[in-house]
Amino acid sequence: MLSGTDITVRARGAVLLDRVDVDIRPGEVLGILGPNGAGKSTLLRCLAGSLRPEGGAVTIDGRPVRSLSARAQAVRRAVCTQHTDLRFPFTAREVVALGRSPHGSGPTGDIVASALEQVEASHLSERRWSTLSGGERQRVQLARALAQLTGPGERYLLLDEPTASLDLRHQHAVLGLARRLSRSRVGVAVVLHDLNLAAAYTDRLLLLRGGRRLACGPTADLLTPTRIAQAFDLAVRVLPHPDGGTLVAAMPGARS
Amino acid sequence: MIALLLSVALAGTIEDARGQSVAVSAPQRIVSLGGGVTELVYALGAGDRVVAVDASSTHPAETEPLRTLGYHRQVSAEGVLSLSPDLVIATTDAGPPVVLEQLERAGVPLVVLDASPGLPALEGRIDMLSALLDVPERGVSLREELSESVARIAPDTAPRVMFIYARGGGTLNVSGSGTAAAEMIALAGATNAVEGYEGYRPLTAESVVMAAPDVLLLTEGGLASLGGQAGLLEQPGLSQTPAGRAGRIVVMDDLLLLGFGPRTGLAAVVLSGALQESGE
Amino acid sequence: MISRPVLLVVLAALAVAAGLAGLCLGAMPVPVAAVPGSLWGWLGGTLPEGVSPQHASVVMAIRAPRVALGLLVGAGLSVAGALMQGLFRNPLADPGLIGVSSGAALAAAGVIVLGGGGLPLWALPAAAFGGGVGVTLLVLRLSKGDGGVSIETMLLAGIALNALAGAGTGVLVAMSDDAQLRSLTFWTLGSLGGARWEVLAWVSPLLVAPLLAAPWLAAPLDALLLGDDEAYHLGVEVERLKRRVIALAALAVGAAVAFTGMIGFVGLVVPHLVRLLAGPSHRTVLPGSALLGGALLTGADLLARTATAPAELPIGVVTTLLGGPFFLGLLARRRR
Repeated sequence: MLSGTDITVRARGAVLLDRVDVDIRPGEVLGILGPNGAGKSTLLRCLAGSLRPEGGAVTIDGRPVRSLSARAQAVRRAVCTQHTDLRFPFTAREVVALGRSPHGSGPTGDIVASALEQVEASHLSERRWSTLSGGERQRVQLARALAQLTGPGERYLLLDEPTASLDLRHQHAVLGLARRLSRSRVGVAVVLHDLNLAAAYTDRLLLLRGGRRLACGPTADLLTPTRIAQAFDLAVRVLPHPDGGTLVAAMPGARS
Repeated sequence: MIALLLSVALAGTIEDARGQSVAVSAPQRIVSLGGGVTELVYALGAGDRVVAVDASSTHPAETEPLRTLGYHRQVSAEGVLSLSPDLVIATTDAGPPVVLEQLERAGVPLVVLDASPGLPALEGRIDMLSALLDVPERGVSLREELSESVARIAPDTAPRVMFIYARGGGTLNVSGSGTAAAEMIALAGATNAVEGYEGYRPLTAESVVMAAPDVLLLTEGGLASLGGQAGLLEQPGLSQTPAGRAGRIVVMDDLLLLGFGPRTGLAAVVLSGALQESGE
Repeated sequence: MISRPVLLVVLAALAVAAGLAGLCLGAMPVPVAAVPGSLWGWLGGTLPEGVSPQHASVVMAIRAPRVALGLLVGAGLSVAGALMQGLFRNPLADPGLIGVSSGAALAAAGVIVLGGGGLPLWALPAAAFGGGVGVTLLVLRLSKGDGGVSIETMLLAGIALNALAGAGTGVLVAMSDDAQLRSLTFWTLGSLGGARWEVLAWVSPLLVAPLLAAPWLAAPLDALLLGDDEAYHLGVEVERLKRRVIALAALAVGAAVAFTGMIGFVGLVVPHLVRLLAGPSHRTVLPGSALLGGALLTGADLLARTATAPAELPIGVVTTLLGGPFFLGLLARRRR
């Protein structure tokens, strides 16, 4: 389990995260939701180990992240952020292969090819990074994370708005992939904006607002008009989806 | 002088300005580094034995086809060696030191002469070169010519002279004491308007006005780089000096004025005359 | 795109060819056959017939150290350039950004203008090296924040310190007399003319260090290109990597500049060429730059010492004359 306990982050006098607890368990997808400025990305960075919180601790499989080397973390957890500022002409295949670097030398060709296939980007393999669209780049980054996570044992995948530049079909494909992954010992945490995607693909939700944990629990329990209004200041109707699950509809113009 | 001749005659060696004993024997392929030194070699009659000189050796005219070695502080070891020299004459200014070392290690006799300005150092160079090139009589007569010329200089007045070194880029430097220019001014029977420091300092308007020179002295190249007399007098402070107001500017060829070669006597006479004339 | 093994073999052959050309050619006509004999003689054997001691001396005491220095300095400058481009995540970066060249130039100017005549031969290189490394340390200090070394701050600190060092050098230039100014100008233009075996003994470890470290730096540098955080998430100890890269680059360039003056464009252009030919992976760019840089600089030095023989062109002039138009060509290609 990848857990954060009592995470507190301050910057220039403002409190970005205030004693937030979060657990990411292998076998499930945790959605992290909240309005802008709620601290979602900050929380993800703390869990990823690249931001050290002022208060609280992050542990991965029981060991504090602070005591682990970057490499020891990288063999078990992969992160996909929104921005990749790559200004060199790497091919998609080379970028995905970077995901294997924490695992030392060894044949990587098959793993890379398989990862690209899973994100439906095999045809992009020899294309240069600068020629890829935003959505294509995101999928390649995800493939890189998949390559990084290939291997035995429990793994963790942290995704920060992975659907931001994707078209509709790929949004569902990527989240579907995340959910399939979670069924094979990977704990997935994904920051999302779209409530319907959260409804369809997450098992549990963490609602943040103003750096504080509003609520955490099974998705079906948390996707209620009350909770959503609390978090987002928006009135919504929550309806049962014809094929099972939940559909969230926002009411234009109405306030809570 | 006698000692030099003896040491060359008996041991075939000469002690140069570094205090090193250099073995020489009837050099036939001479490389000369330094304008003044080259002039001396030619004046001593050994010009036909010179195979290459540096870029500053602009006199006499016969050196033109031989001026292939570039700047005398940045010569190339292999370049010099490719000329198969049996003697390299340089001043303490030549370099780089590594290259001179490589020449010696390759077995080429290297004689370094003291490059200091002033009459005594020049006489020393004449002595050493005439012993080296085995032309003692020419050396003696050159020294006599020099003394005679200098003795003839007895001007009526001793004007205050300021030597300006111009590079054309904007900074002008003014000579204090101890430079070739200062020595020439003294030889010409005039006074250096600038005192209080050795070497060159950048020109400033206040220092120029305080020095109040009667005459401004420049090299031909230097004046040209400023755009002639008009350009010179636009420089800060110069137009307010006695020299500037009277337009008393004397110009001489660079190598003739500063080279401290065999024409030094002539140069001193010419300078003295020019300084007097400019006041009329 | 050329594959990595092919590229490295071709570049290695190029470097060997440049080295051999450097031994066989020069201002002095030495028969090619004399070269192996000269090497034999230098190693302690007797000189074979037909090889004069003067030929042997030119080949082994003058040309061989220059060729060795050219290969090492070319390799060191190029790898340092590649390291800087990885560190700054920018293909236009150059070791000069961290202040090592301007610091060395300032120290050299100080020795030339203020030093007087009696300083020992090693004073200038020692000062130049100290100046280069000193300014880099200062830049590093200024760019350390809470989160470690900030690349953006380092860029700004480098710009500021380069400007200050330049101003200091300008003051010294204004104070200099004609002879000193000429010496400083030639130092700034660069030359391999000071190459001797003793110098190589001092300089080689520093120039070779980044090459030896390259295999361990290649993968982390590739990851660093994605971003500081992204590299950390891929297992790279980012702060440690930055410090090591800066140290290696500063030492190599400091050593090069100290003994050969400023040789421009090599650190900028060579890694570029390698990327154009074989892609941006550091596993290729680092060794490729070393080999290509060594070959190019040795070739440039051959040109410098034969084009105007018996005089010599400053090598910085040759590399800039070749590198400048090449760079303009690259820019023209990009704009299309």
